[in-house]
Amino acid sequence: MLHNRIALFRAERGVSRRDLAEAVGVNNQTIGYLERGDYKPSLELAMKIAAYFGVSIELLFSFHPFESVADTLRRAAAVGE
Amino acid sequence: MSLLEKMDRAVYATGIDRLLFRKIKPHNLRWLPLFVLAALILGYWLMARTAGIADVRIMIPRLLGGWLVFYGAYLLAMFLRLFGPRMVSTPRQPLDEREAAIKARAGAMSGNILAIAVLGGCIYMSVAGLLGWWHPSRPIDWTNLGFGLQAGFLLLPTLIASWLQPVDDELE
Repeated sequence: MLHNRIALFRAERGVSRRDLAEAVGVNNQTIGYLERGDYKPSLELAMKIAAYFGVSIELLFSFHPFESVADTLRRAAAVGE
Repeated sequence: MSLLEKMDRAVYATGIDRLLFRKIKPHNLRWLPLFVLAALILGYWLMARTAGIADVRIMIPRLLGGWLVFYGAYLLAMFLRLFGPRMVSTPRQPLDEREAAIKARAGAMSGNILAIAVLGGCIYMSVAGLLGWWHPSRPIDWTNLGFGLQAGFLLLPTLIASWLQPVDDELE
């Protein structure tokens, strides 16, 4: 299983599926399937998406589930205290 | 309103422009192609069973009924491709890598299924004549069989592609 944070990055940047799809040259539906984990992208597409968000590919895709935003914030708060 | 304006309005009202320029949102058609395939088989059967009827007054209405069902399904088979998963690239919207992969897999699988069906049909017809079973004999039977195969070639990739990809996701 290949996990990804495309939906998170998209929400954070306020990018619609249509905008992302047009930017990386795929159909809107393909972005939906990618976000739900129903489709594994090619290396080329994964790199295009990572480049679009300006992050490394490891930040966007992982073989292990990503930590939830709530957990990340909780951990960050604990470190701050 | 001029004739050109009227024609323009009619094109937009009927949605012909959406069909021509492929602006239709693709849908997963998981069951409709099966019903169309069933209608093709039913229509063919209705036409084929008129072979032994000598009375024209009985034969013609039955043949016409079968013809309407069969060729109605044939027309639907051609149109369903436009509403199912995208299989044809357009200059404005080429197939992306996922769609190209789905198209290739659906095409390969439907090709295999049709090849097996044709092989089975050839074997059946080689023995049907000897055993006295029904088999296409009139020119119209063979012509309809050809159109039926073509409709199957149009329908199967749409059906298989609809099952290969997950259910439709709502677009934003």
